[in-house]
Amino acid sequence: MNPPRALLVCLGLWFSGWTLAQVAIPNFIEETQSSGLESRFDGDFVVGGGVAAFDCNDDGLPELVLSGGTNRAKLYLNQSVVGGALRFREQTAGVELEQVVGAYPLDIDSDGKTDLVLLRSGEDVLLRGLGNCRFENANRLWGFQGGNTWTTAFAATWEKGQSWPTLATGGYVNRGTQFPWGSCRGNALYRPAPGSRGFAPPVALEPSFCALSMLFSDWNRSGTPALRVSNDREYYQGKGQEQLWQIIPGQPPRLFSEAEGWKRLQIWGMGIASYDLTGTGYPVYYLTSMGDNKLQMLESPNRPSYTDIAFRRNATAHRPYTGGDVHMSTAWHAQFEDVNNDGLIDLFVSKGNVGFMREAAARDPNNLLLGKPDGTFVEVGDKAGIASFLRGRGAQVMDFNADGLLDIVVVNRLDRAQIWRNLGGTTPSPASATPPAALPLGNWLQVRLQQPGPNPDAIGAWLEVQLANRVLRRELTVGGGHASGGLGWIHFGVASAAQVRMRVLWPDGQWEEWREVQTNQFVILKRGKGIQRFLPASNQP
Amino acid sequence: MKRFLKVMVLVLFAMAIPSFAQQVIVGVSWANFQEERWKIDERAIRDQLGRMGATYISADAQSSSEKQLNDIDALIARGAKALIILAWDKDAILPAIDKAKAAGIPVVAYDRLIENDYAYYITFDNVEVGRMQAREVFKARPKGNYAFILGANTDPNADFLHKGQLEVLDAAIKRGDIKVVGKQYTEGWKPEVAQRNMEQILTANANKVDAVVASNDGTAGGVVAALAAVGLAGKVPVSGQDGDQAALNRVARGLQTVSVWKDARELGRRAAEAAVLMARGTPMDKLPGRTIFADGPNKVRMNALLLKPIPITRQNLDVVLRAGWITKQALCQGVSGAGAPAACR
Repeated sequence: MNPPRALLVCLGLWFSGWTLAQVAIPNFIEETQSSGLESRFDGDFVVGGGVAAFDCNDDGLPELVLSGGTNRAKLYLNQSVVGGALRFREQTAGVELEQVVGAYPLDIDSDGKTDLVLLRSGEDVLLRGLGNCRFENANRLWGFQGGNTWTTAFAATWEKGQSWPTLATGGYVNRGTQFPWGSCRGNALYRPAPGSRGFAPPVALEPSFCALSMLFSDWNRSGTPALRVSNDREYYQGKGQEQLWQIIPGQPPRLFSEAEGWKRLQIWGMGIASYDLTGTGYPVYYLTSMGDNKLQMLESPNRPSYTDIAFRRNATAHRPYTGGDVHMSTAWHAQFEDVNNDGLIDLFVSKGNVGFMREAAARDPNNLLLGKPDGTFVEVGDKAGIASFLRGRGAQVMDFNADGLLDIVVVNRLDRAQIWRNLGGTTPSPASATPPAALPLGNWLQVRLQQPGPNPDAIGAWLEVQLANRVLRRELTVGGGHASGGLGWIHFGVASAAQVRMRVLWPDGQWEEWREVQTNQFVILKRGKGIQRFLPASNQP
Repeated sequence: MKRFLKVMVLVLFAMAIPSFAQQVIVGVSWANFQEERWKIDERAIRDQLGRMGATYISADAQSSSEKQLNDIDALIARGAKALIILAWDKDAILPAIDKAKAAGIPVVAYDRLIENDYAYYITFDNVEVGRMQAREVFKARPKGNYAFILGANTDPNADFLHKGQLEVLDAAIKRGDIKVVGKQYTEGWKPEVAQRNMEQILTANANKVDAVVASNDGTAGGVVAALAAVGLAGKVPVSGQDGDQAALNRVARGLQTVSVWKDARELGRRAAEAAVLMARGTPMDKLPGRTIFADGPNKVRMNALLLKPIPITRQNLDVVLRAGWITKQALCQGVSGAGAPAACR
């Protein structure tokens, strides 16, 4: 069970010089009631329950689109005062469909107005952003055949040389049958139509194994992302496994095989999160499941072979850490973010029983795993105040009030969605009537990338921030998590750094030069044009 | 390296002091020990090890297959000479079996199949459970319309049970004495699903159902609820399994015909016995009661001990009382009068 020596040496190098004795635990305060969010995810949708977080009125504060299952989806305008309590107001926006189970933001037509992908039981819908948080159905306009199945996973990429994105959708079971085992179906790849603004008819990604999360990610830094698919073993009857599709421009999709190094892995795959956790430049993938969650580390860039390091990093999060339920827990959305701004990545995992499954914990708290200097994680969900026992599903970890501290929104099955504000070092006092102000735990930087032409948000880019003794790297992806996506500021916690260097590897493989930037601010990095400061302020008072 | 030295030290000890080799340490790797039922198994294992002069050490994987792999390493490092493994995940556990094999440490696969022929598999005979269920229902109603409420179709045990049920009833079905009027798998073994399925079978047959072979006590509960809704509870024989408290009470009240009971103490006792015997050199095929099991998903031929369960009916409810499995109060709640079974009088 010893990690390979090379890894130990690497860890030793990175963490020498780190003197943090303990990790700072951020304090969250639940503001569901006062925030104005009032959305439930209802119906017999055992999976799904997504939320999309993105700015649709250009004020720098992310709006929310919450799926409702049998209830209609809702858009909430962000009215939060910078640094203040979280405030949202529902607005009719054209998203108000029923049977919505997932939502991902993405600028499909590259017009600078973010569009929205709604995953549904029934026809999936692409909503074209019209500006000022208005949307219209663009399935016909863009030639998108939304199908009629139960869609539970989504990912997007721009293939090399294309001005239009390629989308992947994952299907779950056939809802029409009483015995859905073995009925996994419907994974599809939508590539650009030749020479036009729109999609060609979808190509089947078979075999389908009940995908609950998909992610285009450049696993081996070849410059061509592959499609990782996480599948639910509950329904594939032993025949399925996790998948990695090689998607080469102009060629049909093909699965990486065991002969090429892919290792068979069967889990109740629910969500994917990725991050360069080892500092080697290659993403590590966190895969949520029932019982053990997986942390998959690439063995060598030459082969798609992964070793699981969840146990040695103390990140299995396999059963409730508080609340007394001894059964295995059920994990859904996962997201790597730095919630305490100490420069060490943390991990949020939403948890909740499928429904009334007796083998699994009924009281299953969400996880907040803080990264420690030695590379392991420590569970602080209860201490941080986010240990909800509702049936958590999709989620987003994002800064909703532009104070540099990441907040959390979680959709709950058969319950109301919850939202927590990150107060940093401030301990919330229940006695106080006025909402407390946050105390910083460390410095931070939030960056948006912009490039001219197609793919204005630079999906597929790698953003690097240089700290004193190491580099933080993030790959910009659309997909993964559990039925939930975010688009907007890319957040870095930078500990005590007042200034950092930053550079970008654009999706086409061109490097942008290192640039110095002050921390504790929002900046837009425009390709070839430099850095521009941005001051978020709600334009929806 | 440290572990290797530790093992070497133990090996040297074992060679130097022959009497030390007599002291067998048995390492038990539990899947999730905090689930209530395993306390009974643990006591039985400890007691039997004590009787045989062996020592008990254990680890609890707490529902983590990754932790279980680590636990087994640790048990071996702590000197285990035999392992009893209740696998959390029957596939993820396989590397641990390879390790034990490399170290020459015998393995008992406890209650859950680990499909590797190095392990000695001890469980209750699920096909026999199915036979017992069918036998008791058939005794009560040798002719008529039968419904089968099966387990989860994702669980191989559901099919073992049904196989046993059909072995007993096949001849009567072929003769036409028994007509199968409904057969449904039960998603996740859920009582409410079983109830819904039973309601549909009753509706489809205008309530003309004479007997129900249900595969466990949970589904039997759903069946009895469906029968009660049409006034047939207690009139239609129903089978079950597990010796659930509620089910045993239904047997006492005459609402359920049989609950096939697996005595966990027997399982624990026999596993401890096999572990110690193997550690002392008895080959697997010479272990008492050894048979062959080859009905796993991959059809691996395994040395196995398939224990016989006990069908609990009105006539022998005293068995579970005497075993301390259930209190008389729980067993006999709501039972009174001349019709009460002997155990409740």
